[in-house]
Amino acid sequence: MQEATYLILTALAAGSQHGYGIVADVTEISGGRVRLLAGTLYTALERLRADGLIAVDREEIVDSRLRRYYRLTSEGEEQLAEEAARLHANATAALRRLRPELTGGVA
Amino acid sequence: MSELTVRPGVSGPAGLERGYRRLLACYPRAYRRENEEEILAVLLACAQDGQQRPGLRESVDLVKGAIRMRLWPATRPPRTVQAAVRLMCVGVAAQLAALITEVATARSVGSAYARGYPPWAAAAVRHALAVSLAKVQVEDAIGIGVWLLLAWALVRGGNLARFACAAWFIGMDCLNMLPKITRHAVVSAPADMTAFAVVWLLALAASVLLFTGPASRYYRGGLPGSQADTGNYGDYSALLARLKAMKSRRAGESANPTA
Repeated sequence: MQEATYLILTALAAGSQHGYGIVADVTEISGGRVRLLAGTLYTALERLRADGLIAVDREEIVDSRLRRYYRLTSEGEEQLAEEAARLHANATAALRRLRPELTGGVA
Repeated sequence: MSELTVRPGVSGPAGLERGYRRLLACYPRAYRRENEEEILAVLLACAQDGQQRPGLRESVDLVKGAIRMRLWPATRPPRTVQAAVRLMCVGVAAQLAALITEVATARSVGSAYARGYPPWAAAAVRHALAVSLAKVQVEDAIGIGVWLLLAWALVRGGNLARFACAAWFIGMDCLNMLPKITRHAVVSAPADMTAFAVVWLLALAASVLLFTGPASRYYRGGLPGSQADTGNYGDYSALLARLKAMKSRRAGESANPTA
């Protein structure tokens, strides 16, 4: 799973969001490191939708602009959880080797 | 212009919106119909205050997205179809390699072959061989073209392309095999035969994959992107109509400010 995809799914994990909401949330989640561009975002959304990981929740018109809200499907939740567990395991392994005195005792 | 300064968050600078629309025009029409207004809203929301035209990075990003969307449609075909298309791409590469080898070695093969004949016959033999090699090269070039065309049609979700693939495989590749096997040694050199066998196997595998369960469902159901998914969008067209009505009403107001 690419990082942008992972972050988009994470942004939707707490509840449905519209396009700009996802962009802002991804920036926040990544600590300002990842700034999604619209082309990247919509390529990813289209793919995720086709793969059944996200779905359109609802559509609204706000300030005469269309807003489409996306939500995570149960399959999306499952895949995100799997990916998060994988990343967590990798990170833990790396940290344990880098600083055994810090993580070894806690875990 | 006065409207823009009064309500900056509502419509954004008109020039910027025009610039974004021009970039969005690169996307496939069907995709634009469903998504243009939404992407535009995000683009304008992400734009910096006072931004007059699309930035370089976001422009490149949009064009990249458009190219990807055109090459590989949003609703990805099932894995079997993807695998079949990939196999066909490998087949094209193999045929291309064979064609290049044939062209590159034609001269040396010709003189090597003619060496076994008496001098008075060598020229005629070489000529005959050149003609038959040229025929093979043209055949290969046509084969490459057809494979590329079929791969493209398969990605587009054409059910007909599936049958065209199978027909091309049986008609050209299989029937072509017999004369290749029985043909004289030089044209059916080991390298040529190997390339042909590789291409034949790839075509067989691709054809089989195209007629497995998921692929059949995919092609028989038409394009999922255009039908099944519209349910996902809910009453999108109604929303869009409302949006248009609002915009035209606002355009009327700004054209006639005293009203």
